[in-house]
This record gives sequence, C-alpha cells and structure tokens, in this order.
Amino acid sequence: MIKGSVFSFVLFCLLVISSTIFALALRHISFEIEIPMSFLWVMMFFISLIKVEKVYQSEFSESKLQQYMLSPFSLEVVIFIKNIFIYLNLIILFIFFSPILLIILNIELSYFIPINLLLSLSLLSIVFISSITSSLTVSKNNRLSITSVLTLPLFIPILIFSMALTDVIEFSGNKMYLFFIAYFLLNLAFSPLLTSFALKKLSI
Amino acid sequence: MIEVQNLSFARGNHLILKNINLQVHAGEVMVLRGPNGHGKTTLLSNIAKMIEPLEGKIFYQGEEIDDYIASKTFLFIGENSFAFDQLTLDQNIDYWLAIHNVKFSKSIREQSIQYLFQGVNLKKKYYQLSFGQKKKLQLLLLMLVNKPVWILDDPFNGLDIDSINKITTLILKKKQNNGMVVIATPQNPAIQEVHFYEIYC
Repeated sequence: MIKGSVFSFVLFCLLVISSTIFALALRHISFEIEIPMSFLWVMMFFISLIKVEKVYQSEFSESKLQQYMLSPFSLEVVIFIKNIFIYLNLIILFIFFSPILLIILNIELSYFIPINLLLSLSLLSIVFISSITSSLTVSKNNRLSITSVLTLPLFIPILIFSMALTDVIEFSGNKMYLFFIAYFLLNLAFSPLLTSFALKKLSI
Repeated sequence: MIEVQNLSFARGNHLILKNINLQVHAGEVMVLRGPNGHGKTTLLSNIAKMIEPLEGKIFYQGEEIDDYIASKTFLFIGENSFAFDQLTLDQNIDYWLAIHNVKFSKSIREQSIQYLFQGVNLKKKYYQLSFGQKKKLQLLLLMLVNKPVWILDDPFNGLDIDSINKITTLILKKKQNNGMVVIATPQNPAIQEVHFYEIYC
C-alpha cells in the first residue's frame, strides 16, 4: 500500500514538473528569469498543495468537518472562509520570504512588485483548486491516491500563464492579470461546491 | 420518527452494512450494539447524512433526509475531539457555540459551563486538558445546542463516573422531552427502557 502511495505521489510530481517544462517549451526560454520563475512557481504550488492538504486532513481526522456539516452554515461558505484564511496565511509567508527567494534565484529585485502581484492572484486559484484535490484524497483510505491527478488539468493554465510573467513585466498593464482574476472567479464559483460535494459524497 | 429502510453501505469493494432496517420514535433511546469494525459508526454517519449509503433511504418525520434537514435535526458527537488545540477552552466554547448558532443568555451559558467544567481553568489551552476534560466540551454542546436528535458515538469512552452520570442525566432529560437519541456503544448504558439494535454484517 505504501509502495502504491509513493508511486502515485511520484507520478503526480512528475506530471506537474512536466507541465511546467511544457509551459516553458511553448515560450522563448530566457534563462535570466523564466527558469528561476518556473522553479518559484512549482515550489509555491507544492507548498500550497501540502498546506491545504494538511489543513483538510486534520479537520477531517479531528471530526471538525462533521460539525461543520451539521451546523446551520452551509459547508460551501465554511470552505470559502477556510480557503481565504489558508490563502492569507500563505501569501503573508510568501511576500515575507520573496526578497530572499528572489536573491537566491538571481532575479532582479525590481521585479518584486509584479512577481508578488501575480503570485497573489495565482495563489488564490491554487488554494481553491487544492481544496478540491484535498477533499478527494481526505479519506484515510484514499490519501495520496491517483484521484488527486483528476484536478491536475485545472492547475496547468495557471502554470502556463505564470510563465508569461516576463510579458507582464515588459508590458505593464498586460491582460495576463485579467486572466488570473477571471480564472480565480471561475474557481470561486465552482471549487467550494465541488469541495463540499467531494467531502460529503466521497470522503468515506 | 427516524426510519432507516434497507440501508446498505460499502467502502470500496467491502460491504459494511447490509439491509439495515430500524426505527427510532420520539422519546426513544436506541443503542446500536455489535463487535468492533461492524459498522456502528458508519451507520451513525449514514443517519446524520454525513456519508451516502450504497442503497436504501433514511427518513425523518416522513421526509427523506437531505443536508438541510440533517443540519436542522442532528447533533453528532463522535469519538474524536473536534476542538482546536491552540485555542483556550473558553475560546473553543465560544467558537463551537457560534458555529452551532447558539444564542443563550450569558447566565445560562455560565451555568452550563460551571456544571461541566467546575474547577477547570477556562484559560487553559485545549491541548493542556486531560482526555476526560476535552470530552466535556462535547457534552456542553449536548446541553446548549437545541436539536431534536442526538447521535452519539461511544459517548462514555474515557469519562469518569461523575461525567458518565452527567451524560446519562442529559440523555434521560432528552428522552423525557420527546427527543431521540441514537447511541453506538459497547457498554450497556445505565438508562432504563432503551431499545437495542444489533449490527451483524
């Protein structure tokens, strides 16, 4: 069983990394910014996924979710609030450490504001999609299973468009920001519903 | 009345509950008995609509239970403590009463807390409390959250005699007030006129 879980996890990581390389391959590769940026984004992606997974896993195993399900508040609202708090928690952490990360990754500090702006917008979508992933795998019997791959296509647009960061930097006011806002609003509409559905119907 | 009709439940390829039929009437305490791993908790979760059965239906007052009816009707107290370890006992009480939308006067709230947590420092972090003290937070919900059906999963586990007596008193009061209580426990509760349902799959 452990072997199967490790295999699923490795498979999942490979798919994400390959999707990042795919995103890079579609664009002109600039070693100055795009390689370190893709590294930064994949790192952010994994940290967010692990954080969201951890929160949902602990709430499930400690029966908090059961109480939320039987409370007068709808589970979708609870999930929305929970995701926003996870987002705030993560974004503060990222903004705090981003100057250090930019130095480590040899990215110019003048990119600090556009990078953080884009990071803030894409992280919103990542957290909401991660909550769907976590709700699919929250059951103890189901942890790190292949079902997590189901949500992978939802992450790919974020990774692809994030790689277009250089365009955003070079042409200020680029429509790329609008893509992230639109994608987040789309996630906002569906992910609490899907997360709630998965928690109620699939977390057995 | 709660009515479970031909309920079956499977986890993966493993059938856990098969053709369960039971009824719980107003003013009745139903005790689910059966060996460990035979699906007592699973049946409780099914009744509370927290998981979906493979087959069968569950009705409350003649209506099939949906999420809305479940949230209005059931108070579920499971084996696990649902509180936040890093919050104090007082903060946890406020949080969970708010989640269940409990709006009592301050004096009733204080009396209930005093009844259960006499001598306990409410400013203590939750993780610093003993298992029995943690369990009492669940009992506080039983006292203050007004829902017609209590679903209790092994409520006596880890409690001292005094706390067992208190929870028994609460269950008796619920029974007298025409409430319904469904309990899964390996012990025989010290309550007269309970109905038993044996689970074998």
